[in-house]
Amino acid sequence: MNGPPTTQQPDVLLEVRNVRKSFGRRRVLRDVSFHLSSGLIVGITGENGAGKTTLLRIIVGLLAPDSGAVTRGARIGYCPQDLAVFETLTVRENFSFFASAYGLDRQGHDKPWVESMNELCRRFRFASYQNALVSTLSGGTKQKLNFALSVLHDPGLLILDEPYSGFDWETYLQFWEYAEERKSLGLSILIVSHFVYDRSKFDAVLELKEGCLRCA
Amino acid sequence: MRLKNVETGWLMTMKETRRNRMALILFFVIPTVFYAVIFLITTHRPISFHLASVSQEAFVTVSQMNEALVFIGLAAVGILTSFLALHLTQKHAEVNRRLILCGYRTTELLASKFLALVTVIALIGCYVGAITPLFFRPQRFVFVLLGFVMAGYVYGAYGMFVGAIFRRELEGILFIVLLANLDIGWLQNPIYYADAQNKFIIRHLPAYFPSQLSMVSAFTDQSVLRPFLGSLAYGTILLAAALVLYSRRMRLWK
Repeated sequence: MNGPPTTQQPDVLLEVRNVRKSFGRRRVLRDVSFHLSSGLIVGITGENGAGKTTLLRIIVGLLAPDSGAVTRGARIGYCPQDLAVFETLTVRENFSFFASAYGLDRQGHDKPWVESMNELCRRFRFASYQNALVSTLSGGTKQKLNFALSVLHDPGLLILDEPYSGFDWETYLQFWEYAEERKSLGLSILIVSHFVYDRSKFDAVLELKEGCLRCA
Repeated sequence: MRLKNVETGWLMTMKETRRNRMALILFFVIPTVFYAVIFLITTHRPISFHLASVSQEAFVTVSQMNEALVFIGLAAVGILTSFLALHLTQKHAEVNRRLILCGYRTTELLASKFLALVTVIALIGCYVGAITPLFFRPQRFVFVLLGFVMAGYVYGAYGMFVGAIFRRELEGILFIVLLANLDIGWLQNPIYYADAQNKFIIRHLPAYFPSQLSMVSAFTDQSVLRPFLGSLAYGTILLAAALVLYSRRMRLWK
């Protein structure tokens, strides 16, 4: 899955070609190329400041590369490293807001996103907080919500930036169970983390070092 | 633009605003305190001044307190709405960008924030308008109220414009203080501008038209169509500029 592909294959969900990015004189990404096929879980690791988050922000479209291109072949679910949720809304209201963004509230009158929300809340063990204001939740529960919002719309490609920092052990295990389940249905997951605890969970692990990606 | 998304955004923004109870209380306390101070420190001594938007010869003579009450009402509405608009535009910038990444359009988000702002402007404007008759009876009360709402509209749009330029709160606050203090808090008071050597700058500041709308309605029976249209145009231009800048800031790279 690594290396610069020249033509897009039918099951390729993500293709990154010759991406470069500098901040001032500091070259963060020198020439990053890789592609990701369906049904894979791939990790990107690297030291603090190696450019992992920069690469992810370029992949999802939050940041422009200086040169190179990114092609996405599926609907993306993105979970940022920093919490990106509305603190003065309840958990349920956050789901409702994001369901609206995903267009899930326009699919008939029976609000299909509510079923997904209930399932995610039950699975990641924060169902009892649905009507609580996010500002009153613990850091770990906020992180669960941050993650759950990225999968509400059943994406084909999941891009996660340090997704399990703050998870308790049970939730961490639950996360991997969920990831394996989704993988078997063809979902691809790209996980960026400065720690890769259990390499056996990944189909491939790439290391970002000195602005270049290598197999770790 | 999808109206359902605008409605959801408006609803959520209103919920957030409603939960900020202290700010909500201050929205009503500040105009009351402003009015109370004017009531306590000014007298009914008559003062004469020239209203800038009516004919050059027309001078009005009114009670000093009544003139100050209209002026301070405008200042309260303008300052409060500009700060609220700044807050709505700057707050949750990263979450809003995530929403856009998930499928919201920038126009839908900004429209929902603007609708929430209009709702609050209407509430503040009506409240200030409602307490005004407790202190004095303007000639045309409804148009005075309209002037307050237009001051909120123009300064709300200005707050959004500033919020779209600056990412950090302090810079935004200072930029609003810079203009609001000079304009709606000082130069638009007819007592100051009537004797000004150069009125060109004063006539081009954002609060000029809304102030004239309220002052002319409060103390004369002259037409207020021009100040109303001027307010509408000024606010709309600022709002369009805010939308362009906000879209630029929130854009995604495909």
